[in-house]
Amino acid sequence: MSSELLSNPTPAVGASSPGPVIAARDLSFAFGQGELRRQVLFDLNFEVRSGEIVLLTGPSGSGKTTLLTLIGGLRRVTEGELSVLGRPLHQATTADLTANRRDIGFIFQQHNLLEFLSARQNVELMFQLHPEVPPETVRQKAVEILTLVGLAERLDYHPSRLSGGQRQRVAIARALVTQPRLVLADEPTAALDSVTGRDVVDLLQYLARTNGCPILMVTHDNRVLDIADRILKMEDGRLQTVDR
Amino acid sequence: MWDTFLIAWRQLSYQRMKLVVACAGVVVAVMLMLVQLGIREGALENSIAIAVKVQADLVVISPRTKTIFQSTQFPRRLLMRLAGHPSVDHVQEMYMSLARWRNPWEFREHPISVFGVDPRSPLIDFPGYSGLADELQLPDRLIFDRNNRVMYGPVREHLAAEGFLETEINHRRVRVIGAIPVGISIVSDGNLFLSPANFLRLFPQRNPGAIDLGLIRLKPGADRMTVLEELRPLLGAEARLLTRDQLVDSESRFVRESAPIDFIFGMGAVVGFFIGFVVVYQILYTEVTNHLPQFATMKAMGFSDRTLLSIVYYQGLLLSVLGYIPGFFLALWLYQVATKAIQMPFSMTWNRGIWVFLLTVVMCLLSATIALQRVRRVDPADVF
Repeated sequence: MSSELLSNPTPAVGASSPGPVIAARDLSFAFGQGELRRQVLFDLNFEVRSGEIVLLTGPSGSGKTTLLTLIGGLRRVTEGELSVLGRPLHQATTADLTANRRDIGFIFQQHNLLEFLSARQNVELMFQLHPEVPPETVRQKAVEILTLVGLAERLDYHPSRLSGGQRQRVAIARALVTQPRLVLADEPTAALDSVTGRDVVDLLQYLARTNGCPILMVTHDNRVLDIADRILKMEDGRLQTVDR
Repeated sequence: MWDTFLIAWRQLSYQRMKLVVACAGVVVAVMLMLVQLGIREGALENSIAIAVKVQADLVVISPRTKTIFQSTQFPRRLLMRLAGHPSVDHVQEMYMSLARWRNPWEFREHPISVFGVDPRSPLIDFPGYSGLADELQLPDRLIFDRNNRVMYGPVREHLAAEGFLETEINHRRVRVIGAIPVGISIVSDGNLFLSPANFLRLFPQRNPGAIDLGLIRLKPGADRMTVLEELRPLLGAEARLLTRDQLVDSESRFVRESAPIDFIFGMGAVVGFFIGFVVVYQILYTEVTNHLPQFATMKAMGFSDRTLLSIVYYQGLLLSVLGYIPGFFLALWLYQVATKAIQMPFSMTWNRGIWVFLLTVVMCLLSATIALQRVRRVDPADVF
């Protein structure tokens, strides 16, 4: 609440603006207050540049997902500085955070599709956040991207009638259909077998390359490390950069 | 907006069975409210039906009369005194009393209300009464109310077959020559209509000079309130002068105060509202709880709180509409059942239909408001 009052509304800066897509300076984060305070991130300094595919690895509990939620604007930055897509999130209002989320494509560990919507409706839903896109374009783009991920035959299937891999592909289509300026993925292969997982990651890489969209992906999965331009390794809330 | 509405509808209707159960809750509440309010209103309206049918401009009653069904008499000469006023067109006396009707099939006697008023041009609307005026002039002829309770015997059927029925009232032989629809109520099980002369034949102990109700028709263009003020001093303390509307008001006040229907059925409607509220709240709360992960996902994707809240509100609205429609028709059907069982007409009014619909919407939106506190508190970071 108080941060909303203190911060100045900052105009969003376009994707074409030069500079890093993500820039963290002395970023720290702690859960809880007082005696219960538990710090999970310590003085992180890193950048992700336009077009890069960056993997974030590390043992569980090392703070990867927390970092991802901070970048996604799902948690508030309390210490240090974090700029995403030109927005200084350390001084953002709630509205700024929501706007930030709209520019980002999220891919979750579980597909998190809305079960009551068909594959096509799940993808089209994203355009409700972009009401300026005319309805014909929405329909066309949804069909296009679902075709691209190989689900042209399953457009009107509800998630309950799709396999795990198909669901994750719908989730990728959903995350990418509005051409986000950044994709955040949290272990997208965790719930998939190795072949399907490989397919999904390849697809993600292909789509990101075609759109020139940077990806930050948390993963445990050693089988997919090869798609990365750069790997950030985290341990106990500290970053150990490992260049390939 | 339309898109948000579609999401709300798809989320609500995805599990058909749950939707049906949810609607059933609203249906019960709507039905309860409509039936309770319907019976309340119906009972009140039927109880004042006689007063409402009065077509005189002014009426005279005894100051002791609380309701015309238990009237005290006043001297007819007071009414005649008013006839001399230049604005008064004519006056008419009406006798009312309870008599004992003998059911000619079972030979049992039942009390019945008897109304004695001139059938040639009655200042009261008894449909079809003046049509039989000539025959009603003959001694001991009277007319039966088509809506009387069955305990008086199958009079209607008999009349349809034979044309008349002979029985005894107050141990006097009479002939029923027809039946007209006027209506009974909680204060009267049955009605009979006859001329004043025949009325006095049934009650030989009654003084013809003591009447129960005086009906006054004014000349066209006369102002009721002005004339009322001019006439009042002529009556003194022995009789009370009212406009027709004042009579209706005082009758309805009497019923409200003396009979507990107003409270009982009003209470029933309130209970219906709260049952509906609790049911809808439970349903919406469960729905929202089940959908929390979905709401969290939508929040994470950048949907604003406002969009999510309108989804829940739309679902509340949808439930109220989907529950109201079957509830409305169920209530219509129950009105018919009640009309048959209680032998008093109950009907739907626009007013009540709209009111109960608004109450239903309020009920659903109120439930939605409480249920969506959870949506507001959903943490989008939980989806990771």
